[in-house]
Amino acid sequence: MPFSLGYGTNGFADHPLPVALELLAEQGYDAVALTLGHPHLDPFAEDLDAQLRSLRGRLDELGLRVVIETGTRFLLDPRHKHRPALVDAEAAARVAFLRRAVDIAAAVQAECVSFFSGVLPADTTPETGWQRLTPRVADIVEYARGKDVLLAVEPEPGMLVETVSDVLRLRAELGDPENLRVTVDIGHCVVVEPGGVRGALLQAGPLLANVQLDDMRPHAHEHLPFGEGTVDLPLALATLAELGYRGVAAVELPRHSHDAPGLAVRSMEALRAGWHQAGAIRESARWLQESTTAITTDPGSLAKIFAMAGRRVGRSPLRPDADPTGVLFGTVSDHARGALIGRLGEFLSPDELAETLLALYDGGDSAERRGVLKGLGALATRSPKLPAAVVTAGLRLTADALRTSENGIVAAAVGPFAAAYLDQHSWRHAVLKLVFMGISLSAVADLQERADDELARMAHDFAAERSAAGRPVPEDVQLLLQSSSSYSTSS
Amino acid sequence: MRLFDPHIHMTSRTTNDYEALYANGVRALVEPAFWMGQPRTNVGSFIDYFDSLLGWERFRAAQFGIRHHATIALNPKEANDPRCVPVLDEIPRYLVKEGVVAIGEIGYDSMTPAEDEAFSRQLQLALEYSLPAMVHTPHREKLAGTQRTLDVVRESGVEPGMVVVDHLNETNVGMVKDAGAWMGFSIYPDTKMDEQRMVAILREYGTEKVLVNSAADWGRSDPLKTVSTAHAMLAAGFTADDVDKVLWRNPVEFYGQSGQLILDPIPGFDAADLPDAAAGFEGNSVLRGARV
Repeated sequence: MPFSLGYGTNGFADHPLPVALELLAEQGYDAVALTLGHPHLDPFAEDLDAQLRSLRGRLDELGLRVVIETGTRFLLDPRHKHRPALVDAEAAARVAFLRRAVDIAAAVQAECVSFFSGVLPADTTPETGWQRLTPRVADIVEYARGKDVLLAVEPEPGMLVETVSDVLRLRAELGDPENLRVTVDIGHCVVVEPGGVRGALLQAGPLLANVQLDDMRPHAHEHLPFGEGTVDLPLALATLAELGYRGVAAVELPRHSHDAPGLAVRSMEALRAGWHQAGAIRESARWLQESTTAITTDPGSLAKIFAMAGRRVGRSPLRPDADPTGVLFGTVSDHARGALIGRLGEFLSPDELAETLLALYDGGDSAERRGVLKGLGALATRSPKLPAAVVTAGLRLTADALRTSENGIVAAAVGPFAAAYLDQHSWRHAVLKLVFMGISLSAVADLQERADDELARMAHDFAAERSAAGRPVPEDVQLLLQSSSSYSTSS
Repeated sequence: MRLFDPHIHMTSRTTNDYEALYANGVRALVEPAFWMGQPRTNVGSFIDYFDSLLGWERFRAAQFGIRHHATIALNPKEANDPRCVPVLDEIPRYLVKEGVVAIGEIGYDSMTPAEDEAFSRQLQLALEYSLPAMVHTPHREKLAGTQRTLDVVRESGVEPGMVVVDHLNETNVGMVKDAGAWMGFSIYPDTKMDEQRMVAILREYGTEKVLVNSAADWGRSDPLKTVSTAHAMLAAGFTADDVDKVLWRNPVEFYGQSGQLILDPIPGFDAADLPDAAAGFEGNSVLRGARV
């Protein structure tokens, strides 16, 4: 991969630094994110220069790049985490520390120094926070410029600078200094970034100077090992490759030192697997771009391009772990075809788009039909209100798909388009059909929002029929029964 | 023992057959487009049939762990009905679909001018789309029909190695071999070929460029004839490798020329020999009832 995979030393707090570095090199990491302070490197040590010389030597021997991280919890105030912060009334100690971090980065030829803004103190308005933050960062930027060191501001959930947009605002207020860049933690993105991981990385674009890798769940700022949250790691890695990112991307698991060696191994496995999947994502992206260009030049080429998609981008399940057969969430080619239709929506008139949808579906094999249905979902997600012609065509295709008995087609027909436009009667029957066919209801978009008492009644009757026949009742029926309080205690 | 049936009309068969095929090692097959018993009367009838071969039938086969491919064509018998001939204009769009591994069945039924025309036009499509051609030989006048078939193929410019001439027997195998085309044999309960005669032909002509199929359809036929031929070969002293060549590698090589064969195991079937309950479904469909 074009960038370097690293691991944060804050996830190795129970190992001495030289041992941690050795373990990382052993596992194939070629970078390290070094957090200053306890326990690895005291930035105020008397023999700091000697320590740094020895560290640089060791990094050279092991072939490791290094970035400097500054998120040490109790370095400056033993009683209060991350205090003083750049948004506090008094922050001299913080500024002095960050200057010291710049010195250290210069001494060990680090790629950058990463830092965050801090949480606003109680009773401090954001305006005041920005007024405090901006000149202090200006000071550090000026200092770092003199040392030829790059700075990267990390947006953190709950802090004043919380998103990439906030970093760009800070940067703009300082006159877009060349050496002030962006750190993106991909886990944070599922918590606070409106555009998700991909959106945040693209927004940072060429300003991206540091990346932290971890998993996370949308409602909790808790760094998790890969696979335990909802971060789309392959998409994140594919986006980094697409951006031509050449810096360090380091695993950030500051609360998992107790299992550091094991996590270093498993994280590398997850990153390698993710990179493999990223290849497919990038191939899809290239196909999408080339196809869009070809179709704008020659609209007649669409049918063949659409038919050939699977041969170019592959047919493996999009989410093999959760959906090994690709029935629920589709295949890589379903997704690529859907994305192409989403793209067509940008330059075809509503009538042309409607006609195209019908032609591609009617002339398509099962995989192409799934692709058209995914495309309807992409269009519905992208636009809050689709043109009438497109809705009419989409409803005809959805009805056709729901009449089939192919599980992949039926599952593709209950996505965002059906959630937004299918009438309630048809939608209920579609959901019950999934249960009947043994397809997980995780395929249904907006299930909770649209489920109603009548659907619960239908599910109840279905369960009763199954029970009368002495046959098992699918687990998903419970989900439907719970959607209505009046049936929640039914047998 | 992995088997590939290069010619079988699964649309006409039951799920019991799929189960038996899978249980006996058949993991891939090709279903050529052909007539339906009851003659078709319009183009729409073909369209629904072609769509079904690439949609429902492929899906149905996958439920039983079998990779289903198709060949698409206007068959020679229905090429004689002017109401059906315009389907030739629809065929090109099917030739770029996934899993369409040849144009076929084409060839002769009664050797009429209308059959000549459809045969030649579709051989040209094979050239244009770089697809193999699957050629049916007539039930009546087989020898003369085979000779004429080979002449038309030669004149078309299609490489003989891109053509399988099917339903051969002792009388016409030699001329097909001499022409350099692939030799297809349909093993039937009573008509066409049987296992013992097939073994004798393999002894005489070798295993190169030989395809053995069941051609099972809605008539009296047996989808497990590839299996019984494999056993007959072993009983006659052929090696397991010979069986693998005739009943797997040969069809893979022939249809592989299309670039359209998909042979990786269907998810849920690579480890176990039983359908994966999680991959199934029920209802107006194939795998009815709860599975344990």
